[in-house]
Amino acid sequence: MAEPIHLEDVRKEYRTAGVTHVAVDDLTLSLPAGSFTTIVGPSGCGKTTTLRMIAGLETPTSGRISFGETDVTDLPPQRRNCAMVFQSIALYPHMTVRGNIGYGLKIRGVPKAERDAKIEAAAETLQITEQLEKMPSELSGGQQQRVALGGAFVQDPDVLLLDEPMSDLDAKLKAELRVEVQRLHQEMDATVVYVTHDQTEAMTMSDHVVLLNDGRLEQFAPPGELFDYPRSEYVARFIGTPSTNVLDCTVEETADGPAVVGDGFSMPVDSLADAVGETVRLGVRPQYLSPDAGDHRLDLTVEVVEQLGTEYVVHATLGDGTRIDVVSDAVAHLRPGDQFVAGFDREHAFVFDANGDTVLFGDAPATEHAPNSTP
Amino acid sequence: MSTSTPGLERYLPERLDGRTLLLLASFVPLLAFFLVVWLVPILYALGMSLFTDPTNDAVFVGLANYVDLLVNPAFWGFLWTSVVYAVGTTALSLVVGLGLALVVNQRIRGGSVLRTMMILPYLVPTLVVIFMWKFILDPNVGILNQVLVNAGLLEKPIAFFSTLTWAMPAVVVTSVWKFGSFAFFILLARLQAIDPDLYERARVEGASTWQAFRDITFPHIRGAVLIILLVRGIWMFNKFDIIYLSTKGGPLKATTTLPIEVYQLAFDRVDFGHATALAGIMFALLALVAVVYFAVFNPGEEVSG
Amino acid sequence: MATADVPGGSGSLLSIRTQQRVKRVAVYLTALLISVFVVVPVYIMVAIAIQSPAAVFAGGNVNLVPHSVTFRNFAVLLDTTSTVTYFANTLLVTAGSTLLSTAIAIAAGYGLTRFQFRAKSFAARAVLFSYMFSPIVLAIPLYVIYYRLGLVNSYFGLMLALTAISAPFAIWLMWQYFQTVPIALEESAWVRGAGRWRTLWDVVLPVARPGYISAAIFSFAVAWNDFTMARVVMSNDSMYTINLGASLFLDRVTIGWGATMAVSLLICIPPFIIALFLQNYLLQGFNVGGLE
Repeated sequence: MAEPIHLEDVRKEYRTAGVTHVAVDDLTLSLPAGSFTTIVGPSGCGKTTTLRMIAGLETPTSGRISFGETDVTDLPPQRRNCAMVFQSIALYPHMTVRGNIGYGLKIRGVPKAERDAKIEAAAETLQITEQLEKMPSELSGGQQQRVALGGAFVQDPDVLLLDEPMSDLDAKLKAELRVEVQRLHQEMDATVVYVTHDQTEAMTMSDHVVLLNDGRLEQFAPPGELFDYPRSEYVARFIGTPSTNVLDCTVEETADGPAVVGDGFSMPVDSLADAVGETVRLGVRPQYLSPDAGDHRLDLTVEVVEQLGTEYVVHATLGDGTRIDVVSDAVAHLRPGDQFVAGFDREHAFVFDANGDTVLFGDAPATEHAPNSTP
Repeated sequence: MSTSTPGLERYLPERLDGRTLLLLASFVPLLAFFLVVWLVPILYALGMSLFTDPTNDAVFVGLANYVDLLVNPAFWGFLWTSVVYAVGTTALSLVVGLGLALVVNQRIRGGSVLRTMMILPYLVPTLVVIFMWKFILDPNVGILNQVLVNAGLLEKPIAFFSTLTWAMPAVVVTSVWKFGSFAFFILLARLQAIDPDLYERARVEGASTWQAFRDITFPHIRGAVLIILLVRGIWMFNKFDIIYLSTKGGPLKATTTLPIEVYQLAFDRVDFGHATALAGIMFALLALVAVVYFAVFNPGEEVSG
Repeated sequence: MATADVPGGSGSLLSIRTQQRVKRVAVYLTALLISVFVVVPVYIMVAIAIQSPAAVFAGGNVNLVPHSVTFRNFAVLLDTTSTVTYFANTLLVTAGSTLLSTAIAIAAGYGLTRFQFRAKSFAARAVLFSYMFSPIVLAIPLYVIYYRLGLVNSYFGLMLALTAISAPFAIWLMWQYFQTVPIALEESAWVRGAGRWRTLWDVVLPVARPGYISAAIFSFAVAWNDFTMARVVMSNDSMYTINLGASLFLDRVTIGWGATMAVSLLICIPPFIIALFLQNYLLQGFNVGGLE
């Protein structure tokens, strides 16, 4: 039975040689029952630590963790109904695939006949029936990962945790396994938490995304919301490839009222009347910059043009040296050194204040779209 | 995947069922073992060394036993003998081991046979090695004497183990037979790890065989040679059984090393006071070498994490 | 390649071809000399053990292919000496110390790897230091203590003494080995409901098998090979180990080279059997630690 996962002010500190390192900084999250949540972030942001605390392999320094109504903070991993797939796959080298998948059932004392039935069902779901009697060393990386998934599947857990399970696989295998994992999610009645540093996985597979930075929560929202309504410059830059373009601007009083003024453009923003004179930053995604279009224009000099299928990524610079990327299918003619103009509409612009927090999404102030930790 | 990555400390679990019991089960035997069989006897020996006749009629004499030993020129003779034995055996083992390792590394036919052959000395128990060599070097029936006499190189057979000038060389040769494999296997492993392309390149650049050895081979095995010298050196310095079994320290103490003397003080002369004092001196020497060894090869690094 | 007689490398006196010839000769000569050095003694032992003394010593040695094989030497050995008793003693004591040493090594190796504590570096040095210790130096106080406790001439006393000298390296071996067992394997079992002890039994020990077999082989070799500890602990003939008992053969006029080589052959058998059946583990032991 899937349960919601609640983290309340969970904190994890490590003390090594007198220095205290905060891996997870007062994290509060509620993951809905049965949902698929991905935790993303750069290395060292605390995502694996958080996952391990949910599993019970680490104890929070402070804070509580519960699955539904049950407080599990003090329960060892053996007693939480949790299944985990490890980054290193961690198959027992001395047991067959059958043994590996069925190990959890064996511990629980499930009789052999029933065990075998479940193992075979799992193997069929994951298409590894042929491999059941083989040893892990005889399998390919993708097959091994399926065995690990199988072991989790037969356990029928309330919570399924995956710690960067695809980081050692090549792109094609990743694509295949992504589909597998999503299929498993549909078949299993479990809340899934998936840790990765690969945002493609995060954006394509999940119901919700948790973005961590240095142990702190940056944003918790469905993928689309992170893309279109990033809560901070950090989120805007992390999510999306190529990264969001960010320009330094100031809020100035112009003839049309207060405006965000940058290198070659002026974007009126009435709601920032109080902020005149302040430095802000403007963010706009490369996908929303179009050559010779848009309300607000930028004069760019081309550096490099990359072709990706039918689209092109133009790496260019603004007059003051800021790097700007433009993604479009109408720029095939551009060569390094060319000057061209690309523009954006106000509705696609983000405005960040000096702290990096978003104050404007296009026209609307950020508070109207305030994503917070509980959806 | 090794678990000894830095920072992995953070990921070890802190409270799980049965953990305390496991901790005890791991460490209690270890600590009990070291306490009972090492620490207590060592401390006891050091204690005994401060007394005359500690097993019968103990009289506290402080460091007098140590002084007695150190002023006695015989002690320094034994120390010298120990050094000669250790250095001789280790150096010769190194030469033999390196020689054969270089040969096997050339990948000649029968190389793997040679390799298997070198396990032999490791398997043959020390006593048997002594028997073998006592037979070979025997004045009456030994083949070495027979061959040398028949070839006209010797007039009369030599009783190697009982002759003053030949006893130590005989013991050294016997020891090299037994312990040369160690150097061989270690050096062979290092040699085989050298990228053969390096030699190809050296040839293209015009180096001779000797230069290739000096500039490519040797730097790669330098570490191993050092380890062998140090580890085997200590080992040979401490060796008791080979010398005792072949010559009992004779003739006329010519092959008496410190370990032999320790044994004889304790069991032939029942002088535990001086025996333990000599043991104490050996302990001090070992500690000195250990300090050097730990400074050069930090063993803590290999196991931390 | 260079078949012409060109000068071989800067500063070299000989041409390349001569160099290669010299090298080839040196290589084969070295191989030959060392092979002779290593193999001949073993061959002699076997040859003398299986021939009657009369055949061997008739006018100089007949070490070449023996004409007649006989087991007479073995018969003499078993009749006139307590060889069987000595062997039984040795087997008992060796088995005991091997088990003890390996058990301590597994337990300690696991704990030292998995648990965090500050004295790790010290522990490493302590283990290596005891490995470098001279057995005879340890034996002296051990003897006095045994004497006081009545452990002289006891199986247990000798087992303990042998464990003392074999355990340090066995511990070092297992310590190194456990570091190659990923903790994720254990964690995977914990998450699936296995307690720590169950995990040890189901996962850790099976995966560590090559390691502890190497440790056991090493401990066995130390015990089987031992003379020093037996010499100190045992003074009663009925308690002698084979190395101790046989070492006195050469002093006895009634035991000749035939019987001596016969017992030598017998003593060689257990190590050789182990080498034959467990060669992989033997070589693994050489790789890890590389100290013995």
